[in-house]
Amino acid sequence: MSSELSSASESTSFLLDERDRHLKWRSFDIIEKTLVLLSGLCIVGFTLSVFFDVTTRLIQAPWLWLQQATTGFFAYGVFIGMAVASRRNEHMYLTEFVANLSGSIRRKLEIFSRLVCLVVALLMIYFGWLNMLHDMGSFRMPSLIPMGYYTASVPLSAFFIAIFMIEQLYNGIKNGFDNELNRSKP
Amino acid sequence: MSNGTIILLMAGLFLGLGYFGVPVVFAITAGVLVGVFFTPVSMPSIIGQLFIGIDSEALLAVPFFLLVGEIMTNADITSRMIRLSQVLVGHLRGGLAQVVTIFSLFFAGISGSSTADVAALTKTIAPEMDKEGYDKAFVAALIGSASTMANLIPPSIMAVVYGATGNVSIGGLFLGGVVPGLVVGIGLMIFSFFFGPIGIMRKRGTLTEFVDAVKDSAIPMLIPFIIMGGILTGFFTPTEAGMVAAMYTAFVVVPLINKGHVKNLYRDFTNAGLMYALPMSAVAAASAFGWMLAYLRGPDVVSGWISGFAGTDPLMIMFLLVVLFVIIGDFMDAIPAIIIFMPIITSLAELGNINHVHMGVVIITTLAFGLITPPYGLALLLSAKFVGVSFGTAVVRSLPMYLVFFAAIAFCIFFPEVVLWLPKKFLPASVGCFPSPSGTGYICP
Repeated sequence: MSSELSSASESTSFLLDERDRHLKWRSFDIIEKTLVLLSGLCIVGFTLSVFFDVTTRLIQAPWLWLQQATTGFFAYGVFIGMAVASRRNEHMYLTEFVANLSGSIRRKLEIFSRLVCLVVALLMIYFGWLNMLHDMGSFRMPSLIPMGYYTASVPLSAFFIAIFMIEQLYNGIKNGFDNELNRSKP
Repeated sequence: MSNGTIILLMAGLFLGLGYFGVPVVFAITAGVLVGVFFTPVSMPSIIGQLFIGIDSEALLAVPFFLLVGEIMTNADITSRMIRLSQVLVGHLRGGLAQVVTIFSLFFAGISGSSTADVAALTKTIAPEMDKEGYDKAFVAALIGSASTMANLIPPSIMAVVYGATGNVSIGGLFLGGVVPGLVVGIGLMIFSFFFGPIGIMRKRGTLTEFVDAVKDSAIPMLIPFIIMGGILTGFFTPTEAGMVAAMYTAFVVVPLINKGHVKNLYRDFTNAGLMYALPMSAVAAASAFGWMLAYLRGPDVVSGWISGFAGTDPLMIMFLLVVLFVIIGDFMDAIPAIIIFMPIITSLAELGNINHVHMGVVIITTLAFGLITPPYGLALLLSAKFVGVSFGTAVVRSLPMYLVFFAAIAFCIFFPEVVLWLPKKFLPASVGCFPSPSGTGYICP
């Protein structure tokens, strides 16, 4: 029983990043887990679709729609991964300058950085939505899937990024952004 | 507002926000969105550009190469390649330092990612080097420098992105990268031999040890042959070759070598799924930036400056581009840099009548060097962090190694025939050669 429990907890732990716990709400963990699972499904999906693309071509019976499925999995994988990276704070940075600071300057820069991300995400939601509606009128050949189904990945990802930024701003302002400061609290 | 001012505003916002801690992808996008505000370009279309930037069949190769690296590292398959490297060069002066370079050369042929290489080496060889008394800063500098070969030796993720963005043959770039990759590898080995710590001198491996090590590592070492064999025979595109390599690693290499890891493969897939999102989201944002740059005629302005100095002299153009990319590589990641500046590279290559594969190899080698230069040397940042030494100390220790990279870049600029020899031999069409009307061989311009 205990081994089952430990393996169960092990199997869920990779879906959830426990770092910077003080910046996260437990109720949002389920979103992160779901997005990580979807991201895994996307990479499995496009691996299989490229595999079948090669195989069906080899047997002289190509499934042309597979290429559209592949780009769909790939694009959703990128934008879902972008949202997960926002919650886990795993994006690429130009410098570790802010991470090496502490105190009020760190706090101000962390708030500023997240506000910029939040504004960008909100613009991506609004204009991404308009772009998606526009793209519903264009179609991918040969399957005639509306392009909007693909470009919907942008506002969808931005929606999750926005709620993760709000989560981090709220908790960061309340608990502090710096891990060490947070640990030293009772 | 003039085009030049808008470009400066966009670039300034990107760098300013980036240095104040905004993630690269959001800093670039913020710069683009502010720039769009001063032009007639519509906001929805520029947001659509984020999707268009990654809507490329060639870019699909990136996650596959990352996946192969992830599985190889987590399934501890890399240890077999380390053993082979030890048998080959462990007896030389600075034995483990030589092993780092040889292993990186092997691993570069499998993964295409510097970060995977750094992760594998800092987990395995770095602790051994510490026990043998190697200076930690030297270890970090060497691992960071050697890991850059992953971007030169095929399959290289930078080459995939460069080829996909610039419409240059990825197979040609893969083959062209072999020469600078070997120059960097041999250069680092010579440097470690003469100027690195002596380490513990081991006995030369026996023939039996060598045969055993080759047998142990033969299965994973087939991957580079699968990838390049598939591409060179025209059987696979780079993406399909990446998929075959990933399938081979997951369903042949792991069950044969580390059966216990099979149950953890789903984790490797999920991790790779998240890992590829990071460079690809930067690609998405950078392609919007690159689009705006092209719209504002940035390439004409910059190529005007460069051609003002260099005229149409190809050597001078390449030299100035190298200087530009050394500076760019110091401040930003290679992948966004390639995409943002691709229109400029293309227009200058045409101006100087430079072969596009040759130009690509020079730019990729320069950007690979940027992975170890401050303030944004990603490979060195990671190796310093994992080895446990400050970035500044690692930078100081890596300074003499810069000479190796200068030599590799200079070699690429001055000896295009050597760089293009492999592409001409195996993929002549990739470098602009065309079939001879007589039906035998190719005619190369």
